[in-house]
Amino acid sequence: MASVRMKELDAGTAAARPSLASLVTDRDKTVGTITVDNAIFKCRDVNVYYGDKHAIKNVSIEIARNQVLAMIGPSGCGKSTFLRCLNRMNDTIPTARVTGSITLDGQDIHDKRQDVVQLRARVGMVFQKPNPFPKSIYENVAYGPRIHGLAGDRVELDEIVHTSLQRAGLWDEVKDRLNQPGTSLSGGQQQRLCIARTIAVSPEVILMDEPCSALDPIATARIEDLMEELRQSYAICIVTHSMQQAARVSQRTAYFHLGDLIEVGETDRVFTNPRHRLTEDYITGRFG
Amino acid sequence: MKPLALLVSLLGLSLVAFWIGKSRSLAAVGGKAGIRSLHSLPGHYGLLTAAWCALPALVVIGLWLAFQDNILVQLVTAHLPEPLRSLPPAEFSLVLNDVRNVVAGNVPASSVDQSSAAAAAEYVHLQSISRIALTALALAIGVLAIIFARRRIVPELRARNQVERVMLWLLFGCSTLAVFTTIGIVASVLFEALRFFSQVSPWEFLTGTIWSPQTAIRADQVGSSGTFGAVPLFAGTLLISAIAMVVAVPTGLFSAVYLAEYAHPKFRSWTKPLLEILAGVPTVVYGFFAAITVGPALRGWGESVGLTVASESALAAGLVMGIMIIPFVSSLADDMITAVPQSLRDGAYALGATKSETIRQVIFRAALPGIVGGVLLAVSRAIGETMIVVMAAGLAANLTANPLEAVTTVTVQIVTLLVGDQEFDSPKTLAAFALGLVLFVATLALNVLALHIVRKYREQYE
Amino acid sequence: MSDAPVRRAPRIRTAHETQTIVAKSLRRRYWAERRFRFYGAAAVLLGVVFVVFLFVTVFSRGIGAFQQAQIKIDVFYDPAIIDPAGTRKAEDLALADYAAVLREALVRVFPDVKGRSARRALSRLLSSSAPFVLQRRVLANPDLIGTNDTLWVTASDAVDLLRKAKIDRRLPEALRPLSDQQLAWFDQLAERGALELKFNRTFLSTGDSRDPENAGVWGAVMGSLLMLSLTLLLSFPIGVATAIYLEEFAPQNRWTDLVEVNINNLAAVPSIVFGLLGLAVFINFFGLPRSAPLVGALVLTLLTLPTIIIASRAAIKAVPPSIREAALGMGASRIQTIAHHVLPLALPGMLTGTIIGMARALGETAPLLMIGMVAFIVDVPHSFTDPSTVLPVQIYLWSDSPERGFVEKTSGAIIVLLVFLVIMNAAAVFLRNKFEKRW
Repeated sequence: MASVRMKELDAGTAAARPSLASLVTDRDKTVGTITVDNAIFKCRDVNVYYGDKHAIKNVSIEIARNQVLAMIGPSGCGKSTFLRCLNRMNDTIPTARVTGSITLDGQDIHDKRQDVVQLRARVGMVFQKPNPFPKSIYENVAYGPRIHGLAGDRVELDEIVHTSLQRAGLWDEVKDRLNQPGTSLSGGQQQRLCIARTIAVSPEVILMDEPCSALDPIATARIEDLMEELRQSYAICIVTHSMQQAARVSQRTAYFHLGDLIEVGETDRVFTNPRHRLTEDYITGRFG
Repeated sequence: MKPLALLVSLLGLSLVAFWIGKSRSLAAVGGKAGIRSLHSLPGHYGLLTAAWCALPALVVIGLWLAFQDNILVQLVTAHLPEPLRSLPPAEFSLVLNDVRNVVAGNVPASSVDQSSAAAAAEYVHLQSISRIALTALALAIGVLAIIFARRRIVPELRARNQVERVMLWLLFGCSTLAVFTTIGIVASVLFEALRFFSQVSPWEFLTGTIWSPQTAIRADQVGSSGTFGAVPLFAGTLLISAIAMVVAVPTGLFSAVYLAEYAHPKFRSWTKPLLEILAGVPTVVYGFFAAITVGPALRGWGESVGLTVASESALAAGLVMGIMIIPFVSSLADDMITAVPQSLRDGAYALGATKSETIRQVIFRAALPGIVGGVLLAVSRAIGETMIVVMAAGLAANLTANPLEAVTTVTVQIVTLLVGDQEFDSPKTLAAFALGLVLFVATLALNVLALHIVRKYREQYE
Repeated sequence: MSDAPVRRAPRIRTAHETQTIVAKSLRRRYWAERRFRFYGAAAVLLGVVFVVFLFVTVFSRGIGAFQQAQIKIDVFYDPAIIDPAGTRKAEDLALADYAAVLREALVRVFPDVKGRSARRALSRLLSSSAPFVLQRRVLANPDLIGTNDTLWVTASDAVDLLRKAKIDRRLPEALRPLSDQQLAWFDQLAERGALELKFNRTFLSTGDSRDPENAGVWGAVMGSLLMLSLTLLLSFPIGVATAIYLEEFAPQNRWTDLVEVNINNLAAVPSIVFGLLGLAVFINFFGLPRSAPLVGALVLTLLTLPTIIIASRAAIKAVPPSIREAALGMGASRIQTIAHHVLPLALPGMLTGTIIGMARALGETAPLLMIGMVAFIVDVPHSFTDPSTVLPVQIYLWSDSPERGFVEKTSGAIIVLLVFLVIMNAAAVFLRNKFEKRW
């Protein structure tokens, strides 16, 4: 489980730490392996501008299927902004401008013929603060299948709701009260409800924007366990403030700093053997 | 078919169209099991078909009906005998009125002269032809649209996007209604006012001091002076509004201050709604109150003190109007006062100021622009008030500053000039539109000024 | 250092000195405080007194309108007067002289009344509508002919006023609506218990009339209801649609600014100007019928739209953005987000604003006067194009009437209007409190 991995990493940390002199300091070029074998998302030279502010600078990265990619970095470095590019949520901000190429399964997501509604059904999002709809638990999960026409009749819909709640690890707790409002659940349960809601439309990628930062440690642990199960079926990209969480749940980690993608690579290596000076500083707690 | 029945049939046809579209989309993918192959939900395809059916037909119906009356009147007029057609416009419109009345069934055909009755019969005949033609056309358009739309339904058709674009245009259209209303007001009032000014000079209107809007029906009629000097009206309006402000502003301000700063919360919770009631009472009730109670009471009181008070004195109308405006001033002042942050108050108290000193010197000063704006809005309301003055103020234009006399206002004259069997073109009725224009411009200017003052001088609390 | 003439630097006062000065000023300042506070309390009190006085005056004048003086009469349905031919044909029965039947009945009560003019004076104690009551009963049940019956008929306006003590008996005869002789009959009837005040059902069930005792508000109430329902039907969808467009879709450009400024201005335009618009455009240009609820509804729609739009926008703004983000993130389109999530949550606020707008429209008089609703309409309207009047206009017309009996009726109509307004406002407050969500 996640805690076991933590111990492994700690053990590894005690071993070889890189010497400071060997670290890269140039910020324009990303260090590490951008490409992956089984990529679902391929991003090249992505830039995001909020009005005049250049928020994301020339980021290129690939996201693999059935893997968890963690995006870490100090506050305000653009992790959430970049995450929101992947399902074009930045479109809702009038001053935002995105350039560069982002392809989902080979298709450019900014192509004029691409329907953003369909994109968001393939790429789901879980937000920082749980935001269930003020409807019943059943309706929360059923909303996505309803609007996308995924269920022919009520029986199919029931099945989808059941499966989603089960995979989100919430079924046993709510199976007797599906008609109660989603807002009557505890914080952790609400977040799992939001995850169930996202799963219900059978996406290919799940984006998570600091999903546990509003939850207590026990709820956090449950969601982290859930992520491990979910990655069997979906690609997951998680933004997190907590390095420990990134180390626990992810297979690859990307480090962002003030809009630049500094380093990306396998989680173990990034945490034990970072190649960029800034990564090393962040990990050792010198800032952030 | 009568217009209402036609609209209902069109609605029914649209429902059929919805059902056709929806079932066609499901059929295209082999039933409900294949629903995922459709781009949009089946309901969207149904809505798209219904929109194609209803919207073009509605546009046609709207345009047709808008111009139907004018065209029919023109056709009927062309068939009238020569002597009637060449009548001067005033009498010709009387003939038209007769025809219209017979058509509407208000008067029997026997009570008008023969050619008018014949014209009325012709109008009814033409109208029924027109209605049949419209019904056929509208329903044909609807059916053709359904066939056309149905043919286009394939699973890849982005029905939801198209339906949503139509909805967006509908939303946009509704929002432009507000602009069209303003344009309509300005255009209609301006148009008629300009017709008035072509008969009476604007200079005389704006500066003349004698208001006597009689127009001659015969050239030698006595008492048909017809002077349209509006200054007494402006003076009367300002006099009554001034009295109203004298009543409303102090009462409103002081009560707002007391309720906001001194009153116990429980006291405030029931007095505030009680005062708000004053704002909800219809002005006709205030007018009645002023005419029946306040007017005679003032006159009686005046007599007992040796003053002659007219029963329709400016004082009576002004007092009651002031009562009506109190909640207006009070709630605006209250908003301004509560917006002042506690930190300013704390600063004053910490220096040892008493409550009234804090209010007078700190809070008032901070809230002043808002309060001034609120007072200006209240003045604008007082100027535009109609029913109270119609029922409680006088009808004769009187240029005076004495509140105990009867005066008349702009709004009263607008009502008197138009409520009556006046022909639409005489300068008498058009004068009402000229007055309306002045009223509109004045209230608009006051509102803009109030907004400007509030924006420019508003304190920015960090 | 400057070369300015040396001035004594201001001495910093000692604490003791300051205290003395302050102590001296305290008395004056506390008195100012008390005065100020008194003014505030007096202003509030004045406002409350106005409200109470207004309502007490209106109610005291108007409560009498719900009562009506009626006279008990023993009637003999004389076949010789009603159905001389004995055919019992409806047309003949309808045209019979029921006034004569009533006269006979009255003469039986006062046998020493002789002479035509005296008997006419006696008949004038009853309302002019009394014969029609008999006519309706006979037409409904022709078997009444030849029988005796006791019924209560409406008294005349003058009797009604006297019974309610609204006219002074002690005035000289020339100044009274009732002669001395009629006063004597009045007293005799009252002594026998044949003259009483009963609940006035005609007030709430009939339309307008020339006689105060037969006048009712039902025609005006129906006209108001028809007009308000049409106004609601038109203004609510358009207002909500405009609010949605402006809040959710409108780009930040000059056109949108223009629309916003327009709406705010329209909210402050005097209502009479809308009446001018209605007159010039709807009646003159489009040729719609005067005095019909349709035109009134169109004018009132334009009047209430700004209120509804402003309230709806506030309600939409109050919906938290996290709900929108969640819906968008799931792939709902913007219209789906609005329709499924924003609108249901904003609906209570919109409804409250609409009800307040409707309450204002109910009390509007001036614009309706402009479009011609001053006609004397007796029949109760049944459709949107029948000529009709509305409650506030009815109040205005009655208040203009010289007859004394109408003063009471006007106040009664005001009571009816105020009751409707109280109900509507209570509904709005109830809605607001019930659905106020805490996010």
